Amino acid sequence: MATSISFTTPKLTSPFSSSPTLLQTLLFSRKLSASSLHFPASSPQTLGSGTHSLGRLRGLRCFTVRAESENGVEPYAPRHYDFDLFTIGAGSGGVRASRFAANFGATVAVCELPFSTISSETSGGVGGTCVLRGCVPKKLLVYSSKYSHDFEESMGFGWKYDSEPKHDWSTLIANKNAELHRLTGIYKNILNNSGVTLLEGRGKIIDPHTVDVDGKRYSAKHILISVGGRPFIPEIPGREYAIDSDAALDLPSKPEKIAIIGGGYIALEFAGIFNGLKSEVHVFIRQKKVLRGFDEEVRDFVAEQMSLRGIEFHTEESPQAIHKLPDGLLSLRTTKGTVDGFSHVMFATGRQPNTKNLGLDSVGVKMSKNGAIEVDEFSQTSVPSIWAVGDVTDRVNLTPVALMEGGALAKTLFLNEPTKPDYGAIPSAVFSQPPIGQVGLTEEQAVQQYSDVDIFTANFRPLKATLSGLPDRIFMKLIVCAKTNKVLGLHMCGEDSPEIMQGFAVAIKAGLTKADFDSTVGIHPTAAEELVTMRTPTRKIRNGSSPEVCWESRAPSKSAS
Amino acid sequence: MSRKMLIDGEVNQTTEEQTHYDFDLFVIGAGSGGVRAARFSAGYGAKVGICELPFHPISSEVIGGVGGTCVIRGCVPKKILVYGASFGGELEDARNYGWDLNEKIEFNWKKLLHKKTEEISRLNGIYKRMLANAGVKLLEGEGKIVRPNEVEVTQLDGTKLSYSAKHILIATGSRAQRLPIPGQELGITSDEALSLEEFPKRAIILGAGYIAVEFASIWRGMGATVDLFFRKELPLRGFDDEMRSVVARNLEARGINLHPKTNFSKLIKTADGIKVITEHGEEFTADVVLFAIGRAPNTKRLNLSAVGVETDEIGAIKVDEYSRTSVPSIWAVGDVTNRINLTPVALMEGTCFAKTVFDGKPSKPDYSYVPCAVFSIPPLSVVGLSEEQAIEQVNGELLIFTSTFNPMKNTVSGRQEKTVMKLIVEAETDKVLGAAMCGPDAPEIMQGIAVALKCGATKAQFDSTVGIHPSAAEEFVTMRTVTRRVNGKPKTNL
Repeated sequence: MATSISFTTPKLTSPFSSSPTLLQTLLFSRKLSASSLHFPASSPQTLGSGTHSLGRLRGLRCFTVRAESENGVEPYAPRHYDFDLFTIGAGSGGVRASRFAANFGATVAVCELPFSTISSETSGGVGGTCVLRGCVPKKLLVYSSKYSHDFEESMGFGWKYDSEPKHDWSTLIANKNAELHRLTGIYKNILNNSGVTLLEGRGKIIDPHTVDVDGKRYSAKHILISVGGRPFIPEIPGREYAIDSDAALDLPSKPEKIAIIGGGYIALEFAGIFNGLKSEVHVFIRQKKVLRGFDEEVRDFVAEQMSLRGIEFHTEESPQAIHKLPDGLLSLRTTKGTVDGFSHVMFATGRQPNTKNLGLDSVGVKMSKNGAIEVDEFSQTSVPSIWAVGDVTDRVNLTPVALMEGGALAKTLFLNEPTKPDYGAIPSAVFSQPPIGQVGLTEEQAVQQYSDVDIFTANFRPLKATLSGLPDRIFMKLIVCAKTNKVLGLHMCGEDSPEIMQGFAVAIKAGLTKADFDSTVGIHPTAAEELVTMRTPTRKIRNGSSPEVCWESRAPSKSAS
Repeated sequence: MSRKMLIDGEVNQTTEEQTHYDFDLFVIGAGSGGVRAARFSAGYGAKVGICELPFHPISSEVIGGVGGTCVIRGCVPKKILVYGASFGGELEDARNYGWDLNEKIEFNWKKLLHKKTEEISRLNGIYKRMLANAGVKLLEGEGKIVRPNEVEVTQLDGTKLSYSAKHILIATGSRAQRLPIPGQELGITSDEALSLEEFPKRAIILGAGYIAVEFASIWRGMGATVDLFFRKELPLRGFDDEMRSVVARNLEARGINLHPKTNFSKLIKTADGIKVITEHGEEFTADVVLFAIGRAPNTKRLNLSAVGVETDEIGAIKVDEYSRTSVPSIWAVGDVTNRINLTPVALMEGTCFAKTVFDGKPSKPDYSYVPCAVFSIPPLSVVGLSEEQAIEQVNGELLIFTSTFNPMKNTVSGRQEKTVMKLIVEAETDKVLGAAMCGPDAPEIMQGIAVALKCGATKAQFDSTVGIHPSAAEEFVTMRTVTRRVNGKPKTNL
C-alpha cells in the first residue's frame, strides 16, 4: 500500500522542515517501502504548499514534524515508536480504524478491557457496545420478542395454538450470549488476521505518544481513542435499584412489570422487547412526546402504535425516587405521583462518553461539558498526535458512523488521503415495534431550511393487517423541496422500515428528485412501493408556514390505493 | 370536459369532431391496467365506460371480476398465502429464541382461504367504488370489438348492448395455461390453486417460473410434501444464473424436492390421487398437480382479426411505444400485450395511455430498470441487468460484487440459509447496472435500490451512503471488495 503514497500531495508538508527530515520521519513509518522514496526532494512547490491549506491539513502536518518537537524530542531526529497507531478501545470505530490502518501498512496495537456483558471501568470486550451491549444483542431480543406479535398475526392466517406459546427467558439469554461470545471471537480473529496486536487491559494516555496498559507502556506515533460511551443514570434516591440497558440485555430473569425511564430510541426499543415478551411495560417520559429530534408525525405515530400493542406511556412525568418495598418490588415516585409494583426500573436516559481516567486532562486533550472529546473534521483532538472516533466524540452516535470515522481516519493517516467523514443524509433506524427508518431532514428541519416544501404522506393498513385483524398501520412521509424537487427527507414507521430505508438512503444521498422517485416502477405487492407511488402532496408549505392542507389521512387500505 | 385528443385527432380531424360517440374511451377489462387507464382518463375529463366479466376467483372466458388478475387471482391472494406459509418457518425459528411451542401447530387452510376470498371480495368492491368515484361507467359483461369504434357487451342474461367510443382500450390480461398432454384436465392452474377446497398434502408442480416457485414455497411452508419439476437445470429462467442457483438451493433446504430437466408425459387419476408420468417414465402421485408453465393473452373472443388488430404468434396484441395497436382507435395495455407482465408495468402503461390520449402529453412507458420480485420463501428481488445480460450488452469490464452472509436472525434460530446479494457495476463508468438479492425482505429492500439504479447511481454513491445497522440491506452499501471481474462481450455482426 505504501507505494501508493504520492508525494505530490500537500500531506507531508511542513513550513519549517526540510526534506531530509521528512525522509527520516517517513523512514520510521515502516509501511513506506523504499520504492516510495524516490520522490523529488527538491520539489519546493510541493513542500511549501501546506501553507495555503494548513487548517485542513493540520493533522497531517503535525504527525510528520511538529508532533515530535512538541514531544521534547530533538526536532530533527527521528524517533522510534513501538507502533504507528495505538488504539484504545476495540469497538466498532476502533476495530475498523485499526484493521484499515494495518491493511494500509501501519503497525497497530489495540487495547480493550476483558469481556463482560456489563460494561464498567474494568470490563468491556472486543466488539464494543454494538456487538456486546447494543445493536446486536438488542436486535436479537427484538427478534425474540416480535414472535408474540407473529403468533397473533398467524392466527389470522389459519394457524392455531393448543396452548398459548410460553417464552423462556433463560434460553434466549443463553443463546444470545453464545452468539456474543462467537462474535467477540470473530472480532479478535479479524484483528489478528489484519496483523493488529491485541492487548487486554485498560489503556491510559501518559503523554502524546505513550499509552499505559495495566502498567506496561507502549509508544505510538498516533493514538486513537475509541472508548465509546456508557449508559447514564441520574442521581436520584434509590438509583441503586435501577438498571441500565447493559443490565437489561442480560437479566437473570424476565421482568414481570418494568418501568422504563426515557423517551429515546433505547427506551422505545426495550419497551417493545419487554412488551413482546409479555412483561407489563410503563414508559415514563419527561416531554409530551417520545423521540425528541424525530419528525413530529413519526413521534405521534409510533407512540400510538406502541400503545395499541399494550405499552403504557406516562408523559411529562419525571422520576424522583425509587423505593424498595418489603415485598421486594419497586415503587417509583414521579413528579405526578407514585406507581408501584415494578420488578424492574430501567433508565434509558442517555449515554455518556467514557473519558474518565484516560489521562486526557493531563495530556491536554480538550473535552466538552459532557465529557465528549472535541475533534476537528478529521477526528483530530487538540493534541495533534491523538485522535478520536465514535461515541466518545459524541457526534452522530451510530455504529456505521463510527465505522465511517474509523475508515476515514485510517485513510487520512496511512493512505495519504485526507478524508473527512460525511455526515450528510445518514439514515438511521429505531427497532421499536413497529420500527422506524429515516433519512435526511424532518419536516420541521426542512421547513426551517427551505421554507417551501411539499409533504407527501401515506398512512395505511398493510395487506398483512387486513388478514390478521390487528390494528397495525404503516406511516410514510416524503419531504420534497418545492423549488428544486429534491427529496430532502424520508420517514417511515411500520414493518420492515429499517430494511426499506437503506436503498432510499442511497437515492437521497445521490440527491435524487421526486420525479426520479416517480419514474421508478413499484415492486408489487410491497409496502415500499408506496414510496414511489405518492402522487399528490398531502400539504404544501410555503414561506415556512400556513400549510395548504389537502389532507387524506387514512387511505382505505394499502392494496386498494 | 375539456378533452384533448392528440394523436389520432390529427387525421380526419373534421369528420372526427362531427361524429358523436357514446364514450371518449371504452375499456375492455377492469384489471390493473384497465382501471388505471379508465380512472386517469376520466380524471383528464374523458367520458369513460369499462366492461368486465362477473366476479369469481377462478377465471374463464365468461368469468373475471373488477380488479383483475392482480387483485383476484394473482399478486394479492398469492401474497396472502405467502404470508400464511411464512409462519411455518417462523414458528420453527422461534424455538431457539426461547419460545416453547407444541411440536405440531395446526394450520387451517380452509380458514385462510375463506379470509383470502373475503379480502379479495372487499378489494373488488373498493375497485368498483374507485371507478364510480372517478365517474367511470362500469358495465358487467363480456366485451367484444365490433368495429374500430364500437364495442358490444354481452350481459349475463345474454342481452347485447352496443357502445360507440372514440378510443377503445383492450386490457383483458392473460390466463394460466395447461400442458397439452393426456389427462391435462386432472391438473390445475394457479387460479384453482388459490381457491382449493382442501389443502394438498402432496403437491406436484410443473414449471420453472416465479408462479411455480411461489406455490412450491406456499404449500411447503404450510407443511405439504412438494415436488417441483422443470425442464431446465435451474428454475427461474431469465434471472441471474447465480441467483437462480441460490433460489434452487434455498427451496431444497426448505424441503422442496426439485426435479430438474424433467417434463410430464401424462396424468392419470388413481384411487390414491393423481399420478404423473414423466418423460423419463418415472411415476409420482399427489393430491394436486399444478401447471405453472406460463400464461397466454386473453384475445380469442375479442374479434380482433375481424377489425384488423394484429396479434403475434402467442396471441398477444402488437402495439407501438404508445400502446397503440394496428388500428388507430384501438389501444392495448397490460399482460394482453405481453411486454413485461407485471402489475406496476400495466399501471405505468395505463397512466401513459391516459396522458397520451387525454392529457395532450404523449408518454411512452419506460421499461428500463423495472424491478421485480419472486415471493418464494425466502424471496428473490432484482432490478436492472443480470450478470449474463450485462456480459451480453456491455462493452468493457464489469465488476461483480457479491455478498453471501448468514442473516443475524439465523445466528440464534440456527436456520442454515444464507442471504445473497449482488451488484453489477460497469468498470468504466462506475454505474451500477444491476442489483439482486435473495433473502428475507428482499422485495422491500429492492425498491429503494431501484430508485437509485433508475437514476444512474454509481458504486461510489452506494459506498458513500452510511449503513443502517443492524439490517440486511446495509450490505448493499458496504460491498468493498470486487468478487470478480468479467469482460462484456457484446454481440457483433462480425
